[in-house]
This record gives sequence, C-alpha cells and structure tokens, in this order.
Amino acid sequence: MPVSRRVPRSRRDLAHLLQVDLLVNLTLRDLRSKYKRSALGWTWSVLNPLVAVVVYSAVFSVFLRIQPSTGDPSGIRSYAVFLLVTLLPWQFHVTSLTEATRSITANGPLITKIWFPRWVLPTSSVLARFLTLLVEMAVLLVLVAVIEGHYAFAWIPVVLVLMTLQLVFTIGLALMVSAANVYFRDVQHFLGVALAPWMFLTPILYPLNMVPADREFLGIGYRTLYQLNPMVSWTKAYRNALYDLRFPSAERWLAILTATTVVLVLGAALFRRLEPRMAEEV
Amino acid sequence: MGGSRSGTPAVTLEGLGKKFRLTHDRNWTLKATVLNGHRTRYEEFWALRDLTLDVDHGDTFGIIGGNGSGKSTLLKVLAGILRPDEGRASVDGRLSALLELGAGFHPELTGRENVYLNGAILGFTSRDIRRRFDDIVGFAELNRFIDEPVRNYSSGMYVRLGFSVAIHVEPEVLLVDEVLAVGDLSFQKRCLERFARLKAEGRTIVVVSHDLDMVGWLCDRTAWIQDGTLRAVGPSAEVIDRFATGPDNDDRHGDGPTAGGSGLDRLSPDDLVRSVGLFDPNGHPTVSVGSGRPVRFRVRFDADAAGEPVTVALGLYRADGTHVASINSGAATSGVTGDRSVTEPGGVGPGVVEVDYDVPFLPVQPGTYELSVALHDATMRKVLERHTHLLRFEVEPTGIEPQNGLVALGGTWEAR
Repeated sequence: MPVSRRVPRSRRDLAHLLQVDLLVNLTLRDLRSKYKRSALGWTWSVLNPLVAVVVYSAVFSVFLRIQPSTGDPSGIRSYAVFLLVTLLPWQFHVTSLTEATRSITANGPLITKIWFPRWVLPTSSVLARFLTLLVEMAVLLVLVAVIEGHYAFAWIPVVLVLMTLQLVFTIGLALMVSAANVYFRDVQHFLGVALAPWMFLTPILYPLNMVPADREFLGIGYRTLYQLNPMVSWTKAYRNALYDLRFPSAERWLAILTATTVVLVLGAALFRRLEPRMAEEV
Repeated sequence: MGGSRSGTPAVTLEGLGKKFRLTHDRNWTLKATVLNGHRTRYEEFWALRDLTLDVDHGDTFGIIGGNGSGKSTLLKVLAGILRPDEGRASVDGRLSALLELGAGFHPELTGRENVYLNGAILGFTSRDIRRRFDDIVGFAELNRFIDEPVRNYSSGMYVRLGFSVAIHVEPEVLLVDEVLAVGDLSFQKRCLERFARLKAEGRTIVVVSHDLDMVGWLCDRTAWIQDGTLRAVGPSAEVIDRFATGPDNDDRHGDGPTAGGSGLDRLSPDDLVRSVGLFDPNGHPTVSVGSGRPVRFRVRFDADAAGEPVTVALGLYRADGTHVASINSGAATSGVTGDRSVTEPGGVGPGVVEVDYDVPFLPVQPGTYELSVALHDATMRKVLERHTHLLRFEVEPTGIEPQNGLVALGGTWEAR
C-alpha cells in the first residue's frame, strides 16, 4: 500500500453519507448556470430584494401608513429595516420551495439513467438559495450599519444559528414537496397559489400586534390561530435579533426547534417512502 | 481486484421480477385521485419475471434479445435505478452504469465543470476527479474545448466526454447499454479497445446490445432474454446462434421478400433498411444459390428517412462466423436520392431505394451463409445503420468433384 494522506475513516464515511461532493457539485451547477448568458448576471439577485423593499415600503408604509414597531431595546424605527430583516429570509423560503419542488421532475433524464441518492436534488437547490441568502444578509448588515448607524454585528452568531435552523427546516419542506410533485404535479401549482397568502399571514409587512388579540374564531383567538404558522416564529426571531437587538424568547426557540425537527423527520420519512418508484413516475 | 474475489459472483439474480403499471389515463392530478377515491386503475405488466442468473467476477457477459424483451429494464434494476418487485438482484463491487453517455451534463456549463459534476453523480469525490482529469480529457480528445460550454459541443464530442468520465470511474462491475451505437467508427474502436483492457484487468462487464457481432467478439457468456424471461444462457457463440436462428424466435415482423427466413424479421418499421433479398439471374426470389453460380443481392432502404446520400455495405459470413467478404457500393449508390425509384414498377414505396449487387459467380463452398448489411454516409465515416446476420441462405453444391476450404475456385481439371 503506497503511503498517502489518509482521512480518518469516520470522517470519510460521514462525508460520504452526507454526499458532500455531490451536494457541492450540484449546488455549484445551480449557481453557475442560473445567470449564464444574462448581461446583469448576479446583479439580479440583489435587484430582486431591492425592488421588493422599495415597492413594499411605498405601499405599506407611505400609502397605508403602517407603523413599524419600535425596536425594543434598540429604539430603531425604520420601516425599511423592519421589513428587510424578515423579507430576505422569507424570499429564501419562497425561492427554495419553488425551485426544490421541480428539482426532481426537472431532472428526469438524470434520474432514469443514473443511480445516486435522490435527496441531494432538492437539498442542493435549497443550498444554492441559502448561499444567496448569506450574501444578501451580509449586504443588509452593512447597509443598515451605514445608513442607520445601527450595529447589529454582535448578533451575527444568533442570526447564523437561526439561518442554519431555517435551512434545515426548508430542506425538510423541500423533501416533502419535491417527492410529492413527482406523483402529483399539482404540488407545484398549489405552491404557487399558497405562497402569496402565506406571506400576508406572516408578520413581514406589519407588526404582529396588528393582529387582533380580542377576537375569536370558533372559540380560538385570532392571535393564537395566527401563530400556528411556523413562519411567524422565524419572522419574530429574526426581527428580535436584527431589529430589536434582543435575544429571542425561550418559547420562540422551542417553537422553532420543534417545527424544524418535525418537518425534517416527516420530510425524510415521506421522501424515503416515495423514492423507490421515482424513476418510473418522473 | 475483481478476479481474486472468488466465491460470490459479481452479479446475482434470484427469481428477479419487475412489473410496471400501464395506466390508460394517466392520473397526474390530485383532483382526479380524490374524485376516484383512489389511484387510477392500472394494468400490471411484468417486464421481467423469474430471472435467475449469475455473472462471475472477471466475466464479460452479454445480454441479447429483441426490442422490448426487458434487456434494458434488467440493466436498470442492476444499476439500482429501478427497484425489483420480486426476488433479488445484487451486484458485488463498485458499479458504474453506462446507460446514456453524458446524461448528467448541463448544457450551459463548460466541459471542465461538467466533468466534475458528472463524476460526482457517478460517485467520485472531487479529489478523485482532479487526479484523473487529464486522462479523462485526453481520452475524449477535447483538450482544446474543455473550457467551452457543452452546448457548443458536437454530439460526438458530447458522447466522447460522457464515455470518458464513466470509464475512468474504474468500476469493478461495468454495465453498458448499447452505448457503442453512437459515435464515429474510430471512437467505437477505441471504446472496444478500452473494454478489452478492462476485461484484461479482470473487471466484470455486462453489455446489452443488438450488435451480435460485438457481443460475440467481446463476451465470454451471453444470456438471451425474451418477454422478460431467460431463454438461454451460455457461451456467447451458442446463445447468439440460437437467437439468430432459433425457430422459437418469434420476435419477428418483417415485410418485403424474405429469403430463407433468419434474421430479416429483426428489421423494425423504423429501420432504414426495408428488406434484403436474394434473386436468381432471372430476377426471381430464391433461398439458395449454387456454388459458383450467379446471384443478385438486393437491398431496399428508405432514402428519404436517411436524408443524405448513402453507401451500402454488405458483409458475407459463414454460419460459423467466418468472415468471407465485405463489399461496399462506394460512390455507386451515394448519388442515389429518393426520387429515383419511387415510381418504378414493382412499387417499392415512396422514398425507398433499391440497390442490387450482382455477382457473376459466387465463389464460395457449399454451406450456410449469412449476410450483414450496413448503411453508411457517403464518406463512410458514419454508420447510419448496421444489421448483422440479416439474411441467411444456403449455397448448394454444384460441382461433382469434392472440394474443401473457404472458396470455390471454379477451375477445371485437365489431364494430358
């Protein structure tokens, strides 16, 4: 046996189990091919949230006069910042799911010709969007620091933990929708219809306290029903860390951890169940 | 290395069965499912059934059979793409499947990026690929174009790169599905050389092909699969012979004048070659020729579908596989276009061209012979279609004096 640099066996096995090389290559494929043959290229990925924030600010802050909550304890009061810290994670949520849904059906030729673990397809499309989110969040932090004199850098570790949890949560959802879409193409259309109302039922454009707490539906308070949406927890937590400059509450973390675990376990179970026949149904 | 691993076979099939669902109205929507109460009714169709088979380490194994016999399904089950519904299929050793070359390529990425991507899909780490990168590009002969987007590649370049990546995975078990039907002749030749090298290294190769010559040349053992079940397995020459001549080979839908039976029926309506026939000097179809007697070989093919000038090549083989002669029409038929014979008497059909090869005397010994037919482009660089052992016919003894060997010299004795 020639002497060679050997990676410890356990680490190699883990890298193999997680398909690190395949995930890296597929994610790179996604990122590299996305803006090929477009003149503006990567500028588009910055333009998208920029346009959104201008339009939403005009409509919701200027026309409809929605007041952002005052950052507590930061004292910040800026609709643009209030919006952006939750809008970027939300847009990651939307684009990840939209692209992951089609990730298996769009790779039909590959799936019917080569065996490889299928879960890497939805996972890599989420990873590619996650890298975009990382860049956008970095730009956001710098912009806010310059414009608002608002230094959120100390909260970066908390935001990174939140983002990692959101990544896992989104991969769980992506596994579900991508596998289901192989059998029912309705999923991709359903998602297109569902994502817009979902956004309006998440406190991105307005503070949570605008949802009436004193009204009930079938004996359950509006506010309670509203908070069943797991994206409410993410939104609040991001806003705590980057707008209020406050550590999210324990209940918030608990809700986030529960949602992440449940979605990942369900997603993996559903995917495993639907995986064997994918090559026949795709 | 594969050969040393005696004991377990490289490939084991035990009562393997794979069924497909044939749905008449495909149920793509949730609404229909909900309204019907459950999934659509479907028919079950067994593409493979009761297959039991072993392939030893180091063997080169062929799988032959007609269209729709289940050969490719079997390969997909072995590759892990399809899950068996019955029995068991197992492969011992690192596997690589050449089901379609360049299946994982992304057109917008460069050749280099695609090599890494395709390699990763085939189970390589990036470090593995980096180490073999120069070999991969060198074998594909793409050094100058490796940083071009793959969408600018010709189909030949595309296929060469795909083959090169797959072959450099250094599999212990290699599954190949008809991939040699693509690429130009020199590339096909290099692929075959590469297979021969893998074979010499003791690796296991399983080949699915219609090219009986290639299977006979490359494979030690061959299985004949028909209607999803195993018809015969054994040494390649025997199995191929049974497949090509077997009276139970009911996989035939031929049209046109058949002479002698044999493989003419293997022509499908999509093939360019429509028929091959044997005619006596009076122009009557026949099934046999006298040794040293005149004969005419007639090939009909669809010139419209070929879409370019065609060179017809004939190969004459003895039933034991000995190559007797090959001839091609060269420029003689290259100029033939679709409009020449459309309206000729005998009505060969629109766009169909009839080409005759007249032999004043057929100088071969009595026995059973087979004719292979290939269509090339005008420059002979590209094979449009190749049919091996398409026509089987008898050469009858004519002389009174006993002869042996390959050719009938047709001389006369004179004693003084």
